[in-house]
Amino acid sequence: MNAAVDALLAFAVLSAWIGALAFLRLRTSFERLHVITFVNVVAGGAITAAAALSGGMSARTLQCIFVWIVVVTAGALLSHAIARALHMREGARR
Amino acid sequence: MTAWIAAGLALLPVLGLAVIATGRGTAGGRLVAVALATSLSVLLLVVFDFAFDQPSSLDLAMALALLALPGTLVLALFQERWL
Repeated sequence: MNAAVDALLAFAVLSAWIGALAFLRLRTSFERLHVITFVNVVAGGAITAAAALSGGMSARTLQCIFVWIVVVTAGALLSHAIARALHMREGARR
Repeated sequence: MTAWIAAGLALLPVLGLAVIATGRGTAGGRLVAVALATSLSVLLLVVFDFAFDQPSSLDLAMALALLALPGTLVLALFQERWL
């Protein structure tokens, strides 16, 4: 069980680092928006799975799952809102 | 050192990169960096909750996750209309 938790945490850290490097590598703000979704879904999912494995089905785990759902849902809404704002302000300049 | 503490410490430089990116580049790029930094902060609070066994940190993570939506929406609206 501990090995699975360690592997999930390592995977989460690795995906967060990949996201950060992609954020630096990608040029436009529209491309960088994809990094947020990647980090939210992959790193957040791995951390939530590690929490579920570590704590079992407790209230704490359910709270973690709720936080992850909020982060993913809010991330999607924010990506849309930010992309719309960028399109209104920067779309005409490109 | 537990795996949770190691994961939290390994995630801190990623958050640092995102925070540095909030101060560089165009206004749109900064807004995207703010959203990324907020997401990473929520994940870090969850990790440190398990690392230090402080269940109250999860409430902080939930509050940040819930407040990030209206906060960043206001920033996006500000960017869309006035910046």
